[in-house]
Amino acid sequence: MSNENQQNQDTTAPAPAAKKKKVATRKTAARPAAKKAAVKRKTTARKKATAAKSSRRSTAQSKRNVVKEASVVIVGAGFAGLGMAIRLRQAGVDDFVLLERAEKVGGTWRDNTYPGAACDIPSHLYSYSFAPNPHWSRHFSGSDEILGYIEHLVKQYGLRDKIHFQQDVTDARFDETKGQWRVDTRQGDVWQGRAVVMAQGPLSNASFPDIEGLSDFKGKRLHSARWDHDYDFSGKRVAVIGTGASAVQIVPELAKTAGILKVFQRTPAWVIPRPDYATPDWNKALFEKLPLTRKAMRQALYWTHETMALAVIWNSPLTRLAERLSLIHLRSQVKDDWMRRQLTPDFRIGCKRVLLSNDYYPALQRDNVDLITWPIARIAENGVRTCDGIEHQFDCIVFATGFDVPKSGTPFPIRGLNGRELGEEWSGGARAYKSVSVAGYPNLFFTFGPNSGPGHNSALVYMEAQLDYAVAGIRRILDHDLKILDVRESVQQRHNRHLQKRLARTNWNSGCKSWYLTEDGYNATMYPGFASQYRRQMARFVDQHYRRVPQTGNA
Amino acid sequence: MANIDLDKMLAKVKSSQWALADIDWDAPGADLITAEQWPKLKAFMADLMWIEHVGARGFAAMAKKAPDDTLKQIYTYFHAEEQRHANAEMALMKRWGMLDGDELPEPNKNLKLVIQWLDKYSDDMPLEVLGSVIPMLEIALDGALCTFLLDTVDDPVCHQAFARINDDESRHLGVGFHVLEMQGRGDLYIKALKTVATVLDPRLILGIASYVPLLNRMRDNVVAMGLSEEKLYACMKKFERIGGRTAQGRRNPWYQIISRHGRMVVNRDNRTYHAPVDLMVRLTDYIPERLMPSRVPTWVKGISYRPTA
Ligand SMILES: Cc1cc2nc3c(=O)[nH]c(=O)nc-3n(C[C@H](O)[C@H](O)[C@H](O)COP(=O)(O)OP(=O)(O)OC[C@H]3O[C@@H](n4cnc5c(N)ncnc54)[C@H](O)[C@@H]3O)c2cc1C
Ligand SMILES: [Fe+2]
Ligand SMILES: [Fe+2]
Repeated sequence: MSNENQQNQDTTAPAPAAKKKKVATRKTAARPAAKKAAVKRKTTARKKATAAKSSRRSTAQSKRNVVKEASVVIVGAGFAGLGMAIRLRQAGVDDFVLLERAEKVGGTWRDNTYPGAACDIPSHLYSYSFAPNPHWSRHFSGSDEILGYIEHLVKQYGLRDKIHFQQDVTDARFDETKGQWRVDTRQGDVWQGRAVVMAQGPLSNASFPDIEGLSDFKGKRLHSARWDHDYDFSGKRVAVIGTGASAVQIVPELAKTAGILKVFQRTPAWVIPRPDYATPDWNKALFEKLPLTRKAMRQALYWTHETMALAVIWNSPLTRLAERLSLIHLRSQVKDDWMRRQLTPDFRIGCKRVLLSNDYYPALQRDNVDLITWPIARIAENGVRTCDGIEHQFDCIVFATGFDVPKSGTPFPIRGLNGRELGEEWSGGARAYKSVSVAGYPNLFFTFGPNSGPGHNSALVYMEAQLDYAVAGIRRILDHDLKILDVRESVQQRHNRHLQKRLARTNWNSGCKSWYLTEDGYNATMYPGFASQYRRQMARFVDQHYRRVPQTGNA
Repeated sequence: MANIDLDKMLAKVKSSQWALADIDWDAPGADLITAEQWPKLKAFMADLMWIEHVGARGFAAMAKKAPDDTLKQIYTYFHAEEQRHANAEMALMKRWGMLDGDELPEPNKNLKLVIQWLDKYSDDMPLEVLGSVIPMLEIALDGALCTFLLDTVDDPVCHQAFARINDDESRHLGVGFHVLEMQGRGDLYIKALKTVATVLDPRLILGIASYVPLLNRMRDNVVAMGLSEEKLYACMKKFERIGGRTAQGRRNPWYQIISRHGRMVVNRDNRTYHAPVDLMVRLTDYIPERLMPSRVPTWVKGISYRPTA
């Protein structure tokens, strides 16, 4: 066994996840064979973390192992991590650290800087209510303005010193004798905290599609979330692969500069008009001078989006209406009936993310733009080969193919009580209690955890509810000096039975393939209800639902 | 054979993709086409190319109708593959100097009518209809014609291309018959009702009106090329044989209608069928150009003989 371990550590090539896992679980007690089999089924989402770990682990252990301590360790400094920090501070908890693998804060909005990048929830709703900004320049702000807002949060709340950059978390384990989480980073540092907050982002790992010959391409390759601003597109032959949320923003912009742009579509999405406008100065001034007007605006936006749940989440007459509106949008913008057919979705609206754009369809019809709907056979040295036998040659391929979303498994190994490993338990789909706590993993709090995703409203509305719930839990751990605060297994099970029953009736589970669902069609991503319902559920922290072990007592 | 695992089939389809760039279209051998062959071959290839294209459109319609995701994906691939056949056949025409510059050859009038019909109505046809018509067309016009072609043309590049095309076709047929059987499993009564209802559907009658002369026309083409008519008929019988191998397949009412029709096409002595149909073929030749469908749907323009774009 130790021999095998040695081998794995020495390989420089990324080890397959399954193999590596064996090493990772070596320290814990021997496992039943069934569990090992489960390990083999690990999703790709974890590959990166584990693979990278295999090469660094030895250095990590040979290093000094200085352990740095804090009451709360927050993984990630995007909206979630920073929001957590602010709420903790406001609740009087100041002993926390943020570990961020990059060199800057901002997460999504640091990474997605492609031309046209913007939010598609109005800015006054896609921002924290506890840190309002009267100055949003547009209804839907661009990526740089949102990043500016996030950076402003860091300044305003003096968080800079709390953030430790270039700390890529690769492992977290709970020591139940001490009631402490131990967090390892790729850089070889070890952090210890009484509580850990997972704020590593649901969409933070760029994903490339599973297309043969991906690495054969000799030209420029770009992912939408890793833009190269030095690359000059003018006059170039450019491919965009993918037609999701990022693509509909990129395509109109690239169409203006690229010589030839071909857009490769697998499944068309529902596209609705995007009511964007610049906010006039008097309006900004009003929002600043009379905060009540800004609040009223947020409320109005909130309730408008809540209504949309009726169309998007469940199959209702509003769903049909939304589909009809989207089809009218398509018909008014696309003249050719074959192209319209290519762009008409064949699943129910809401089953996948609904896209907002006024200029995507027109861009597709420009003279220098082509919509290609043939399946891709492979990528070759000079371009993309489609199944109609033609090789489309390019200078640059842009992958707007989204992210590795861990619907099963975790981004890095997380070990809870008795050495249980969360990735294994989640291999058939992630499950949690109220999306924040997981039984068997005490003092651990998820943001954007299982079944917390909104289909119709701002992610930050949901996030605020999660943050405050986590604060409630963390306050209990610190105030009552708890070693263990662990949600009860039975409570979690009941919660999930209820969730899945409600999910079965939603549009997400109505038969289309989307990143919301696992391969087996299990929905571990979305919350089946209104944001208001979610917030109501999160507003209560029921102590009886948790097992508590005080520091002085016996486990 | 007929009962196949669709997931495995999809994987097989994905791993069997080829591109025009895999063939050297300038390799020696083009001169093996005789001067006497050339004009007839040109007409034949133009029709064949269009039939592939029409088949492609049929699969596009089937993809919309597919009862499950795997079948839907398979049809989406087949749609592209038929287009690939059309592209490859156009590349052969280019090689043989049969294209007017880069222009697409004109489809004949029967094909124009079929294209028109497909464009207008195919998306509204139930899978039962398309699922039976397509394998029939595939065997009779596509699969069979390709085999004949190889009997008369010696150009090795042509043989290379059709080796690949036929390989694709074998999978199309495999799935085609599988679906025929799948459909046979349903409730016979409902099936029959549905069938009758669709037969009475005027849109379908229009379709039949353009499909039927197309078969006879291709027969004339084949005969003009000096190929034996019997071989074409043998292929149509193959449809009847393979499709009717199991009880479920035989029960499919569409299979019955179409194989009965196939039998009529094959039976030259059946004057009640052939006299009017041949007349229809001749008549379509006389339809004045201005009465033919004028607007060409854009999907028709997607064919290209160039391996790269
Ligand atoms: C293009 C795009 C547009 C979007 N638009 C909207 C919108 O309009 N409305 C909406 O509600 N939502 C939108 N979203 C969803 C968006 O992701 C969330 O709203 C939100 O930004 C997520 O914040 P986060 O902090 O949870 O994650 P992130 O912003 O991804 O931040 C996570 C941080 O953790 C760091 N990290 C990750 N792994 C580790 C590790 N192992 N160790 C240390 N640090 C780590 C990352 O570097 C990152 O900085 C959009 C997403 C994308 C990609
Ligand atoms: Fe074909
Ligand atoms: Fe075929």
